[in-house]
Amino acid sequence: MRTRMKDQWPTLLVAALAGTFGVLLLHVTGLLAAAIRADDVTGESDTVALMLGFVATVFVVIAVYVSAIVTSNTVATVVAGRTRTIALLRLIGSSARAQRAQIAKEGLVVGIAGAAIGVLAGTGAAFGVEQFAVANRMLPPTEYDYLNPAVVLPAIAVVLTTWLASWVGSRRVLRVRPIEAISNSNAQDREELGRRRGRNVTAIVLVAIGIGLLVTGVVVGLTDPMGVLIGLAGGILSFTGVVLGADVVMPPVLRLVGRLFGRSPAARLAAENAVRNPERSSRMTIGLVIGVTLVTTFSVTMESYRAMLLAAQEAQPEVYAGIDDMLNATIAVFTVLIGFSALIAAIGMVNTLSLSVMQRTRELGLLRALGFDRGQLRRMIVVESAALTVAATLTGLVLGFGYGWAGAQALLGGAQGDPVFVMPGVPWVMVGVLIVAAGVLTLVASIAPARRAMRVSPVVALAVD
Amino acid sequence: MQIQPSDLGLIARVAGLAKRYGHGAGAVTALDDVSLGLRRGEFTAIMGPSGSGKSTLMHIMAGLDSPTAGRVWLGDTDITELGDAALTVLRRRRIGFIFQSFNLVPTLDVRGNVMLPFELDGRRPTQDEQAWIDELFDTLGLGGRLTHRPHELSGGQQQRVAIARALATRPDLVFADEPTGNLDSRTGREVLGLLAVASARYGQSIAMVTHDPVAASHADRILFLADGKIVRDAGRSTPEEISAFMLSMELAA
Repeated sequence: MRTRMKDQWPTLLVAALAGTFGVLLLHVTGLLAAAIRADDVTGESDTVALMLGFVATVFVVIAVYVSAIVTSNTVATVVAGRTRTIALLRLIGSSARAQRAQIAKEGLVVGIAGAAIGVLAGTGAAFGVEQFAVANRMLPPTEYDYLNPAVVLPAIAVVLTTWLASWVGSRRVLRVRPIEAISNSNAQDREELGRRRGRNVTAIVLVAIGIGLLVTGVVVGLTDPMGVLIGLAGGILSFTGVVLGADVVMPPVLRLVGRLFGRSPAARLAAENAVRNPERSSRMTIGLVIGVTLVTTFSVTMESYRAMLLAAQEAQPEVYAGIDDMLNATIAVFTVLIGFSALIAAIGMVNTLSLSVMQRTRELGLLRALGFDRGQLRRMIVVESAALTVAATLTGLVLGFGYGWAGAQALLGGAQGDPVFVMPGVPWVMVGVLIVAAGVLTLVASIAPARRAMRVSPVVALAVD
Repeated sequence: MQIQPSDLGLIARVAGLAKRYGHGAGAVTALDDVSLGLRRGEFTAIMGPSGSGKSTLMHIMAGLDSPTAGRVWLGDTDITELGDAALTVLRRRRIGFIFQSFNLVPTLDVRGNVMLPFELDGRRPTQDEQAWIDELFDTLGLGGRLTHRPHELSGGQQQRVAIARALATRPDLVFADEPTGNLDSRTGREVLGLLAVASARYGQSIAMVTHDPVAASHADRILFLADGKIVRDAGRSTPEEISAFMLSMELAA
């Protein structure tokens, strides 16, 4: 059968972005390492290059992890969109396994294409960065070979995760029954609920252990800065628990946020739409939650650190001179690096919202027939988009503040000899940027679906297929 | 003075109606110079084989589609030239719909679905209207299910909710498009009986599109369409009479 890949382009976009990011980051790291090696003072030490490589790896892993979640999401959406075709093929004798293998194979192809694009675009971007930096005297001219074998790693990671995520995301293919080709049935699968319960138990256990470790980390941190490592383990465990249990965490948040938009029919339906398919909305928002949490955690920790440094600077101005500028630059660079995963997550959300509205054509037609005017329909979609974005941003901010403060407390609580309570710093600029970004995302995500929704003719609702 | 449709006891009227799709050699004529009036308070069935134009006729009369030629009235309102916004308000206030399936908004419960036309209008039902809605819930046997979502209801119950919603605003005209197409015959008979009662007891004007002779036999009047033209205008008929006529139409074609 010829592969229809048109609906896979968001997967390709995510793979290409993750690949570009990874390759760009490794090239830039390589560039910096080369520049450091060339420098007389620092050239002797390997530590800086090693640290750079480590940091780059962490960011690439985060980006690949987020893109894997987003990919399994876009693939699941592709499957949902193809249910009828899959059911028809099952009806005439194709096995569920073959159908799923088909989707996974597409994932492999898309992953390879995305990685190739990533290598090209990432190398090009790195070259651009080098030219810019050299021209602006931020970097001395260095000998750097762009045939750096290390960039194969993110490329392979992208291929493998896209393939794997396609396999995971195509799980629903197994549940498509041939009868769905000829009927409109929409029964909920019991087996799925059972599996979800098992997953929720794991999630709760992880969160509980994670919080325990976080508290331990904070307490140990009062006397020993190494407490932050215990806290870090706690953070990773509990956050993994939150991601696993997203089905449980996100719907209540979405419901709460949905209520903020008032009681008009458009707003009420939008709030309901945002939670009508809890699994899908959780998947849709969790990538964004991860991005926002990481950004917030990082900036809250750094802001607390800065507040402490500033206090120290007041006492001893000469020792800490110029540290503020350096800190600001570090915060800015790291926030952009982490923010990249949020961008990938945002693409996933735009795509899923768009497709979920498309699958609701009939319902939109019904609403038009019953007397929804075009403006009400558009408002409904914008509010749905806003509910998803706001819920994800809020959750990320709350989690990030918690983690950020715990990190700062564990790291700095005992740093000056006596145990102190570290005031969590509020990175207002970052909060402001996040809110603006959430607003932009809401609008961007709703433009295409809203336009499509407004074009739906009510006659569609009456058409019997 | 011009004679209004209401002076003739009509709730809806079309004159010289034509609908063509496409241009040139590939053009399809769905309706060809159709003129008819639906009488106030009557339960009218519009019958015809697939492709006869019955759905197109209903879409145009309900303000969902626009004709290529001719004029359309709902009550005394000429809706032919109305824009999308005016038609939307018209559907909200003066028309009720019952479809074959997918009638209800899946995210709203029974009460939410029935109240939707009022909420879209930005108002609460008056005391009088609320009493009417309660009576509808009662008559249709929905009293115990007001907080149920559509997926928790059987097909027959879903159609009852659709009927309640269509009647709730006491619209000028209720359009029903194959309302029993997805139901078993016993449940289908119940739904048809409820429509007939709504018309006979409460004076609700109803236009039902169907190709099922048994469904049409519940109506006061039956219009037969074939190839975009009205070929027969009959009073109440038995299913046998309707089937016989449909069969003769098929054979003549």
